[in-house]
This record gives sequence, structure tokens and C-alpha cells, in this order.
Amino acid sequence: MKFGKDNRYRLLVGLYVFVVILAGCGERSSEEFYGKTSPPSDNVMRYVSGSEPESLDPAIPTGQPEARLLMAIHDGLVEYHPKTMKPIPAIAESWEISPDVSEYIFYLRKNAVFSNGDPIKAQDFVYSFQRALDPDFLAKNAYLAYYIKYAEAYNSKLAFVKRPDGTFLLKRELEGSGAAPEVSTELFGPETEFGKSLTGPERLTVPVDEKNRAELFEKNEKLKAMAADAEFVPVAASDLGLEAIDDYTLRIKLRQSAPFFIDLLSHQFFKVVHRGAIEKHGKQWVRPENIVTSGAFRVKEHHPYDRIVLEKDPLYWDAESVRLDGIEFYPLEEATTMMNLYKAGSLYAVYNAVPPAAWIDTLREYEHEYMDHPAVTLQYYTFNVTRAPMDNEKVRKAFALAVDREALAKFRKTSKPTIDFTPIGIFPEYEEIRDRIYARELAKQGRTLEQWKAKMFDPEAARDLLAEAGFPVSRSGDAWVCPDFPIAEVEVLYNTSESNKAIAEFLQAQWRQNLGITVPLKNMEWKTFLNVRKELDYRGLGRAGWVGDYMDPFTFLKLFYTKENDSSTGWYDPKYDRLVNEANRELDPVKRFELLAEAEFFVMDQQPVIPFMTDSTNWMKKPFVKGMYPNPQTLHPWKFVYIEQDQEKWDRFAEKIMTNRDESVLSHVERLMSTQVARDAIRAQRASTDQSRPKQ
Amino acid sequence: MLGFILRRLLIIIPMALLVVSVTWVLIRMAPGSFYSEERTLPPAVEANIRAKYGLDKPFYEQYFMMLGNIVRGDFGDSLRYQEQSVNEIIIRHLPYSATIGALAYLFALIIGLAAGIIAALRQNSAFDYGSMAAAMLGLSVPNFVLGPILVIVFSLWLFWLPPARWGGISNLILPVITLAAIYTAYIARLTRAGMLEVMRSDYIRTARAKGLDEKTVLFKHGLRGGIVPVVSFTGPALASLLAGTVVVEKVFAIPGLGNIFIQSVLNRDEPLTLGIVAFLSILIMVANLLVDVSYGILDPRIRYE
Repeated sequence: MKFGKDNRYRLLVGLYVFVVILAGCGERSSEEFYGKTSPPSDNVMRYVSGSEPESLDPAIPTGQPEARLLMAIHDGLVEYHPKTMKPIPAIAESWEISPDVSEYIFYLRKNAVFSNGDPIKAQDFVYSFQRALDPDFLAKNAYLAYYIKYAEAYNSKLAFVKRPDGTFLLKRELEGSGAAPEVSTELFGPETEFGKSLTGPERLTVPVDEKNRAELFEKNEKLKAMAADAEFVPVAASDLGLEAIDDYTLRIKLRQSAPFFIDLLSHQFFKVVHRGAIEKHGKQWVRPENIVTSGAFRVKEHHPYDRIVLEKDPLYWDAESVRLDGIEFYPLEEATTMMNLYKAGSLYAVYNAVPPAAWIDTLREYEHEYMDHPAVTLQYYTFNVTRAPMDNEKVRKAFALAVDREALAKFRKTSKPTIDFTPIGIFPEYEEIRDRIYARELAKQGRTLEQWKAKMFDPEAARDLLAEAGFPVSRSGDAWVCPDFPIAEVEVLYNTSESNKAIAEFLQAQWRQNLGITVPLKNMEWKTFLNVRKELDYRGLGRAGWVGDYMDPFTFLKLFYTKENDSSTGWYDPKYDRLVNEANRELDPVKRFELLAEAEFFVMDQQPVIPFMTDSTNWMKKPFVKGMYPNPQTLHPWKFVYIEQDQEKWDRFAEKIMTNRDESVLSHVERLMSTQVARDAIRAQRASTDQSRPKQ
Repeated sequence: MLGFILRRLLIIIPMALLVVSVTWVLIRMAPGSFYSEERTLPPAVEANIRAKYGLDKPFYEQYFMMLGNIVRGDFGDSLRYQEQSVNEIIIRHLPYSATIGALAYLFALIIGLAAGIIAALRQNSAFDYGSMAAAMLGLSVPNFVLGPILVIVFSLWLFWLPPARWGGISNLILPVITLAAIYTAYIARLTRAGMLEVMRSDYIRTARAKGLDEKTVLFKHGLRGGIVPVVSFTGPALASLLAGTVVVEKVFAIPGLGNIFIQSVLNRDEPLTLGIVAFLSILIMVANLLVDVSYGILDPRIRYE
């Protein structure tokens, strides 16, 4: 062997030097900030957009990552408050809401323009909403706008039933009054011919398609008789409850009372689009060379799967207050890749739930960067209540009680345990009212709120319930056994992912340990899983998660609303619908929350689902990025975001970031809100003079 | 020879159609579709979508429609990226994969050959042992392990190179090395073995005996014989490099065809998946044909019937 002593020595020295260099570099991570932390000199924000955005058309994508990109380039009537997510004025300078919350009047600002300089008028909003709801446009988000009068009928290709005498068949004629949430028939905003036509009682609608219509008539003899020799007039875009009263006044008439509708309007689905560009270029209007936008930033370059480069739009009505010169969005898929780029300093923030579970203990130590605030999410399991043994409420309750949620939350690291269907820490006013209503409802059953809250984990009670259901649990050696339980009829279905698997295994162990039941696990690819769960083709339990669309408890509670609900459980109860309808007709927010809480209690007491936890937002941002907050949806209105070069002013202690006052952002928000505050003041004054006027 | 090439070219078309058909059946067999969402679509909206994409027609009709389009070379528009055609997406993203693949190919050839030759000439030296140990390591460490290790060392500890994304030359270094590692290792080992065998053969001794200088012996006589096994390896390697950059593209977030392909499957973007499958299968079959043809040119003993 020619491998001489000298060579060996040199090799060892070389290796040693290499290791020392590596170790030295490794030390860097124990510094104050995570990885490379230096603000960019070009005043450009660099962020992830998740998967390659489905489209830059605000009416198409449904994903949260796309929402963050689209809110930079498109503007709407209202904008999210950067911390609370509540609506603040955007293109609508101010608005008024009718007393029964079924009609909204928006007053648009006169200096809002598209990126090509064209003014943004009320007619543009009417066009944008009509287009997004067009049944041939196939928008998956269209359901968000179904509160607008006849929007659902139009989007679902339905027709009015016109009798030979020229009158339309009304919904209440068929269903009797009280079935549908009735709204005021008086016009609230300025009187117009079209406006008056919007206030009439809701007309009945039936499918345009003859085959579907025949099927419906087959099932409903009464309807068939009423619709005999009637004409079927398809619901048109012009029938929607949308009206441009003048160039800068917009009326939206809803089919029901919906106090949360204003929260919904910040969603990308309701952003304004440019009719000319769309009509000229068709689907291609979203290409960078064609696109006309309305937001604080405009599209400079789009390289699919690589980057989307935005620059500040100098024509934007609020351009003076926009502080970034541009934003670069990188479409990335892998969480580790995102974290690597973040650490290497080429990304300044990642979105929620990106840091992998294994990293969190390390990342948490970077207390200036790691965001741990609650997200408007809920992790839960569904029961297929249409199949035995899960059709038995006692069995469902036993499974719910036998899970140690505290331990699960500790195991997950980024979650808070819960037993309710609205996430914790997101709607504090609602939670307060809910406790009161729960106590009241429980008292009727001779129980207390404390007993209810013990549902977090009570294996003893769980075993008792199983026994009552006919599946006694007995002790065999060190373990519990439940020999009578039909284990072949039950499994846990989840969509393939490491974290879902970990949770499923944790729960499996809990039920084995506490009930003596070993539930088999079954995983499926996402799209397959969705189908199977929705069609109730699963046995036993299914994994589920829900992210709120807007900041109101109803965004969760609507999952059990109506017979065709999205709960994937098969659970339905008309009493629940009645409570929810009543709640949403309520103007007083306290009374409304009371009714919603009653509805929540009603459904949770039957346990069609097992809620486990609310996730935390779990993301990171560099301390030099300011005006970007860990709000419950991790949605960032970019016009408030800026890059701080002065290290003294960097964000420190992420925990306090929501309560700290950043005067520059606050004054910007206050300036925007002032127009609405003034509007409210005028109304209040008008209302008080009305009241003080002597009755004649 | 010409007949052989023609015959092979003719076979490529039905083969590609077969591959596409099998892919189509697999996509259709999987439950769910590109419009499956957590939120239930109103039945009417779903019906509209089905009608628009012809999903309400009988299966055989849909199949022949799809096949007809593909024969015409029209893969249609992507389902997810509605404003983009499949052809356009393939053309746009191929250069990324091709760049990485070609650079990795060059890297593997240059480094692999050099290492192999030097190792053979200095048999049993420290270089020989070192490079062959490294080659062994390169062969046995999969690229989805190597990539992240390189990232940790060079991007996250040393901050020398970007950890991911497309961009300048610095962005290319890590993915190219990651992709090339296994081929480099293979070529180095093949070259070393080939050269060792050749350098011991009679004609090299003859060449030396004739008094030729060592350079001529090595490059004119030795190398030609020594790299024959390498040539037969690099042909198929080129095809797999062009089509097989999926993992590296994923690890380094490169917007190449492999990455798009995986995403199209996850999105159930049927036209895009089929288009890429058809394109890649033709690419691989053509590459294989070229390799087969080149055998004949290199080695006159091989005849095509």
C-alpha cells in the first residue's frame, strides 16, 4: 500500500480543519436571529406563495396562499384590518347597513383607478360580481356570494316560475312562511325602480334543465301542480341583488339577514376586475402583458413555478401610504425548502404552518421571529352517523371522551386543545357568551358547565357510556378490553401526510388504552379522500380540518347548516337550521351570539364530530419586516407592510407583536377608517334626532 | 440500417399512445378529480363543470376524444392553469430541466473520466483509494439525501450558495452536483476498470515498445479502448438525465418539467399529465434509438435486422 504516513497525517489535518470550520459556522444559529438577517437595500419584500397560483384572476383560486398574492394586486370594497381582520374601508369609503342586515349601501371613493388609469365605478363591481357568479364561469368560490339575492339560483342555473297571469311563484307559497329566513320588503337605500324590484318576497326557483326539473316535480306533487302551465324564466345576471345606484354608490341586497357579509367582502372573490381587459383578452387577461389590476401593487413579471414580481402601482388611490417598492412571491411546495430559503435570508417570511413539527422546538427559541398566535382553524374527526355503531350517540360520546386532548396538544406542539366547534382564542366575545348559554342549556339537563368542560378527557365516563350502548369494557390484566365492539365496522380515514398519520396513531393509542378498542387506520391521497368522506363512503371516523373564511363563528357553524351541509357526517337537524336562521336575523350582536351558541350546544351535544384542537399560526418573519401581523388567518394586507432598515426599530418579541403599537401603521389604518367613522356618526345623529322627535 | 431506423420510429408512435392510454386509465381509476374540494360544490356547478370538460359523456367517447387530440399533437389547455395550453407549459419548462440535465451530464463526463483515468494510472495510490471510495459513496447515497446534505453544509452553515430556486450560476451548482453525483461515480468506476484492462493489454505494450511517448500511448491508444464501456453507459444515462430530474427539481425548487409533472398529477390536471407523459415517453424512446444506432457506428460487429 502506497498510503504513506505523511498522506494519512495530511488527510487527518485536513478533515480536522474542515470540521472546525463547519462547527464554527454552526454556532451562528445560536445568535439572536435565525440565519442570515439583513434587510434588503431595494425595499422589496420576498415571500412564498405556496403552490404555483392557479390564476391571477381573483374569482378563480380557492387557496389561502393565492389569497395572499391576490390581495396585493386586486382591491375591493373593503380591506382586512392588518391585526383584527375586521373590514376597513378600501374602494368603498364608507357604507351603511339596513336595520335587518339584508341591504348594504356602499359609497365609493372617487379617486380609485385601475392600473391603466381607468376610474373604478360602482358598475365595475356589479360587473365583477355578476361575472364571478356566472354559472359558465365555474368559480369554486361562488358559494361565498350566495347571500346576495338570487346569486345561488343564478349560479346553479335555476329559473323563476312565471304564471300565465305574469306573476311569479313565490317561495313562501310553496313552503309556507317561516321556512325561509324572510327579510324586510322595504327599501333601505335610495329609492330606484330596480331597487324596488329587489325588495319583493323571494321567488321560487326550479332547475332550468328539463330533466332535473322533472325529477324535482316527481318528488313534489304540490310544486308540480302549482307550476302547471307556467313559464320557466332562467335567472339572469340582471336579477341579482346588485345595483349601481350611480357611478359611486353600490347597493347589495341579500336574500337573508347576514351580519357577517361585510366580513366576507374582504375576500379575494369580491375584488374588482377590469371589464375591458377581460372582454378583450378572454382567459388570457391574467397574463402579465394583458392584466389590469386595481391593488396597491401591479404585476411586473410572472415566471410560472419560479417567481411573480410585483411593483408598487403609482396610480393606486392610497399609493402615498404604500411603503414597499415591490414584492416578490416565490411559488414553492416544500416546507423544508421554504425554511432553508428563510434561513439563508432569501425569504423574509413564510406563511402559516410551514415550519415542520420537528423544527419547532428549535425555532421557538427565536422569540423575535417565531409566531405562535391562534389561527382560525379547527382540527377534528367526523363520525359517519349514518352507519352503526357510530349512529349511536353514546358510542360517539365515548370516543370523544376517551381522548386526552392536553396530551395531544403537547404532542403536536403548535395546538391548543378544545372540545367546541368554534376555535378557541379567535372570537373572545363569542366565547364569553357561549359559556353563559352553555351553562343555561346544561342546567336544563341537570348538568353544569364544569361537567361539560371535563369532556377534555374522561376515560371513566367514556367506558360507562360504551357499556350503556351495549359494549361493556372490562379489565383484562393490565389492559381494557371491549370484546363486543364491532371493530370490523370502524376505521379511521385520513388523507396521506406525516402529521395526519401521527395524530391518527396517537388517537388510535388513546382508544386502545382507554376503551380497549384498536381502530384500524386507513390513509388516502387528498382528492380521493375528499370524495370518499363527502359521499360518506367511510366507516367510523374521518379526519377533518376547517379554516374559517371570515371572522365570525358562523364560518364554522355553517358546516352543519342545511340538509346538504359540508360536515361529511350525515348529521342534519331542522332545529339547528331554525336556531341559525333566527340568529342571523338578529341585529343585536349579543343576542345573535347567544342564539349561535345555543345552536352550537345543540349540535355538539349530539357529537357528530370530535373537535380536538385549534392550531397556532406557526410561522416566522424576519424582524426587519414590519406591519405584518400574526392575525388569525395569516392574511397580510401588503400596503401596511414595510421594511425597517434601522435595527433599533425592528420587531422584537413576537409574542407582543399584536399588542405593540406601531404608530405608522395605526395612523394609516385610522386615516382609512375615518370616513366610515364619520358615516356612522352621521347615522347615529340621525337616529337620535328621529327618536327625540315627538310622536304624532 | 435505414430500414431499422424507420421501423423503430414507426413503433414509437403506437408505443407512446399505449403509454398515454395506460396513464389515462390510471388517472380515471383514481377516485376524485381536479375539482374535488373540501367544500361541496353546488350540484349545478358540478354538473356545469362536468359538461364543460365532457365528463358527462361515456368513457369510450372521452377516451377517443383524448386520443384524437393527442394524435393531432394538441394536448388542450391545462385544467388548473386555464389560460395556458399544455404545449406552452412543456415548451416553457423543458429548458430548465434540460439545462440542469445537460450540465450534470457534462460534469459527470469530465469529472468521471478524469477521476477514472488518474485512478487507473496511479493504481493503489491514495488518489485511487480516495476517489473510488468517493465513487462508492456517490453510488450508494441517493440524491434526495445528498441534496439536503449539500444544502445544509453550503447554504445553511457556510452561506456560500443559495439553498434552492432558479437564478444565477450559483443556483445551479448544488442541483447539478446532486444530479451528477451518481453518474460521475459510475463513469469514474467504469473508466478506471476499462483503462486498467486496456493499459495491460498487448497493443499498449507494443505502442510503448515502439517508443511512443506516454501521452500518445495514453490518449491515442489507451483511452479509445478504455472508454467503450463508458460510451454504452452514457447513452441511456442522457435519456434518464433529461427525464429523471424530478427529485432534484423538487429538492431545489427548480421550475423544470419534472416538478410540473408531479404537480400536475397531484392537481389531477389530466391534460397536462398526459401531455408530459407523451412528451417524455417519446423523448426517451428517441434517445434509446439514438443509442442503439450509435452502437452500430462504434462497433461494426453489431448488425441491424
